[in-house]
Amino acid sequence: MRRRKRMLEELDEDIRDHIARETQDNIERGMSPEEARYTAMRKFGNVTRVKEETREVWSVVWLEQLIQDTRFGLRMLRKSPGFTAIAILTLALGIGASTSIFSVVNAVLLGDLPYKDPSRLAMIWGTNARHGVNETPVSPGDFFEWKQRNTAFQDIAASYDNEVTLTGTGNPQLLIGYAFSSNYFTILGVAPELGRTFSAKEDRPGAAKVAVLSDKLWRGTFHADPQILGRPITLDGEPYSVIGVMPRSFDYPQGVQLWMPAALPDSAASDYQQYYIRVMARLKPGVSIAQAQAQMTALALQIDAEHPATDTENGVNITPLRRELAGDIQTPLLVLLGAVGFVLLIACANVASLLLARATTRHKEIAACAALGASRGRLLRQFLTESLLLSLAGGALGIALALWCTKFLVSIFPNDIANLSIPRVENIPTNVPVLFFALAATVLTGVLFGVVPAMQSACANAADVLKESGRGATPGSRSAGLRRILVVGEIALSLVLLAGAGLLIESFERVVHGSLGFQPDRVLGVEVFLAANRYPKNQPDKRRSFVRDVLQRMKSLPGVQSVGAAGTLPLTGFWGPTDFLVEGQALPKPGETPNADNRFATPGYFSTMHISLLRGRDFTEADRDGGRRVAIVDETLARQYLGGSSAVGKRLNLGTPDKPEWWEVVGEVSNLKAFGLERPDLPTLYRPYEQLPVGLVAFTIRTAGDPAALLNSAEQAVWEVDKDQPVFQALPMSTLAAQSVALRRVSTMLLAGFAALALLLATVGIYGVMAYSVAQRTHEIGTRMALGAEPRDIMRLVLGQGARLTAFGVIVGVFAALVLTRFMASILFGVSASNPATFVGVAILLTSTALTACYIPARRAMRIDPMAALRYE
Amino acid sequence: MSTKEHREPIELLQGTLDLLILRTLLLGPVHGHAIAKAIEFNSEDVLQVEQGSLYPALHRLIKRRWISVEEGTSENNRRAKFYKLTIKGRRQLAIETRKWDKLAGAIARILRPTKQEGES
Repeated sequence: MRRRKRMLEELDEDIRDHIARETQDNIERGMSPEEARYTAMRKFGNVTRVKEETREVWSVVWLEQLIQDTRFGLRMLRKSPGFTAIAILTLALGIGASTSIFSVVNAVLLGDLPYKDPSRLAMIWGTNARHGVNETPVSPGDFFEWKQRNTAFQDIAASYDNEVTLTGTGNPQLLIGYAFSSNYFTILGVAPELGRTFSAKEDRPGAAKVAVLSDKLWRGTFHADPQILGRPITLDGEPYSVIGVMPRSFDYPQGVQLWMPAALPDSAASDYQQYYIRVMARLKPGVSIAQAQAQMTALALQIDAEHPATDTENGVNITPLRRELAGDIQTPLLVLLGAVGFVLLIACANVASLLLARATTRHKEIAACAALGASRGRLLRQFLTESLLLSLAGGALGIALALWCTKFLVSIFPNDIANLSIPRVENIPTNVPVLFFALAATVLTGVLFGVVPAMQSACANAADVLKESGRGATPGSRSAGLRRILVVGEIALSLVLLAGAGLLIESFERVVHGSLGFQPDRVLGVEVFLAANRYPKNQPDKRRSFVRDVLQRMKSLPGVQSVGAAGTLPLTGFWGPTDFLVEGQALPKPGETPNADNRFATPGYFSTMHISLLRGRDFTEADRDGGRRVAIVDETLARQYLGGSSAVGKRLNLGTPDKPEWWEVVGEVSNLKAFGLERPDLPTLYRPYEQLPVGLVAFTIRTAGDPAALLNSAEQAVWEVDKDQPVFQALPMSTLAAQSVALRRVSTMLLAGFAALALLLATVGIYGVMAYSVAQRTHEIGTRMALGAEPRDIMRLVLGQGARLTAFGVIVGVFAALVLTRFMASILFGVSASNPATFVGVAILLTSTALTACYIPARRAMRIDPMAALRYE
Repeated sequence: MSTKEHREPIELLQGTLDLLILRTLLLGPVHGHAIAKAIEFNSEDVLQVEQGSLYPALHRLIKRRWISVEEGTSENNRRAKFYKLTIKGRRQLAIETRKWDKLAGAIARILRPTKQEGES
């Protein structure tokens, strides 16, 4: 270091000495002193560059240069505060928006999964083309066939949901339970925090009953009892012993509170009728999802052929676990991430355009630097330092913005939604990957918007620029061309975003204005699962009287207009189909038996929900057990299987051809969105509760005022009848309706916001270019006016230029959008990805906004005073 | 460390200049201007080096400790800096010269293939 310092200090003197000696030599050769010195200087070369290169030998130079460049850059940025503020703000918006959406993607789609090698895990769902379903549980028969005959998986395991009532620990509690086969935990590769998971021996019918608790249940209900292992608990009235507690991070399936052995009986292997098994699989090493899908599809075809009565058109859908967990939110999130990427690009284009404009005003300064010995690389570095300073400032502000945004995003994130599969997101951390993303975005944008103007300036030939007089030749003509290209790009990108947002808004409109089939306002829903031990299947009278009594009490609550009950609330998506045969129709071919969503309703349910009775009559108190068996069908069932308007009076056989069980259709009601607004209507069959007393009951109460106010007394009504009967959930139907569009609302809102931001930035961009162009052409415009051009012509000239740029951008944008909106087809509803009306609409919006932006500089051009303009420069 | 043969020069010219400086200093300590003169003179003015480029090269050699500097007085009693070959530099010169000969020979064989046949 010291050596370096001394060497460099003496360098000046060395060079002076060298030149003096050379001059002396030249004089001795007979040159005049002046000539001698000049020749010596020329022979020596560029002194500044020599010094620079010598400094570089002592290598820490880059640091010195960086400090120098930074200082100089800061000075330049301070000198034009307006430019600096606009550039930093633009970048902050772009980087902030990108970072906040990325932090959501990072938390939701890329977060660590607490399983061993999670990329090898997949769910195997059933599909059925005839029923139009592609993600259903499967029959145990199919599951056992797969387990024995598949070639793609290391192991596959069965599970099914199994809600139970916990008693003996304070209030009765309905627990979300899940039955796992014993290898399920092994496939996931998770070990319990305490104790163990179940063994294969415990996973048999008749084995001692055991349960594994979730961390949350253990900490909440059992107060983190360290002696929990081996402790007996009562589930549905039966004794179970706790053998393990899962770690806090284990939440699969989401929200499950305890796990029990699946204990499938041997007889289940021949059950191809009931679809309730959910299958988890671990792929064999080296087998891809696509290969597994192909092998399983082939296997499904074989099984279909072997069991035509039950399995016709049954297929297989293998979903990687990560996608399964991301559920419905994956596509909207990726679309949003793409959108913010576009916003960031537009921001970059804007700043690059500003820099280009500024570079043309700085070209003399740059040329002087080059003439004084600054190398091209050195100038390039100087410019990049300046643009990186801008992007770093923008990035810092952007991260601050993102921190604020993610708080906002968490608050609007649709959590705890009954009818959508969305991962639970309690916080969106701004962690290392997010900061790394922000930093990468910052540096990348800095280089992206900086490099073109820098190349442009640094590579201009110094001599040409210095020779060039101020007027006449247009020094910035190449950079003006570049700026026009940037504006066209910006407009094209904005059009893509606007088109995407337009399509989503259109979809949203169609979804929310689509008919729910019922009137959710002022209706309270209360769902209960009747505990299997106290309301067993073989004592249906207990169930009947429970429902009757609860309805009675609810009806007498103040402010209640009417009450009813059904199996599940609409929009919550329970699917329990039943096959049926229609009297007088030929027996269908195997596998083509009609089937309908199987529901019940009490008298008053349809009127409480405002579901229209189209034909026939509602159920009455007279439709009781032992009486004539009656049913009500919905429009879809009537249309598909009963010849439309003549449904009432027909009889349906819900038994078999040999042992018929006849139900007479007494009414027809309008369709109801049972699975969510965006799902198709399935044929639905309703039967009276008295004649179909199942264990799943959803009470509905129409109130005069706010239904939420009745929440507590409605729950109380249940407990007055049976103090040990837990309530699964109680909520206003309007909440459920709002929840079912929550994700769509949020993603539409955000995309529309980003599109608006893009429009704003593009407008600023085209305004900047046009304003600059008018300023540059002041002289030319003055000449035209002096030669007799009317202000109108000038206006046309400027607007024409703006219109050409806009038209170009719009055309490019429409083509790009036609390609890109296809990626969001799966989240559109009721509109095609190339909906002409949307495209025309956004093109008009964008064009008119851009032309308005051009109008301001056009008016300024019109008002140019020819005399002043001709004198100008 | 830096005397290792595999340290490849970045540019032929740069490496060559280094070699020429080392060769010049083999005769004894010389000051900067004299090095430039010596190169020009010995190459019979074929090698017209931009004299300024001598200085980055000298500093590079100093940094590698192939040459050292000492203060002294020149012919006409002026204070001057003399550059001197170090032991390391001497060794490096041998290596570089061998490398150069190899290179020159190889290029010559490519450029004059007939001669090569005649020799063998």
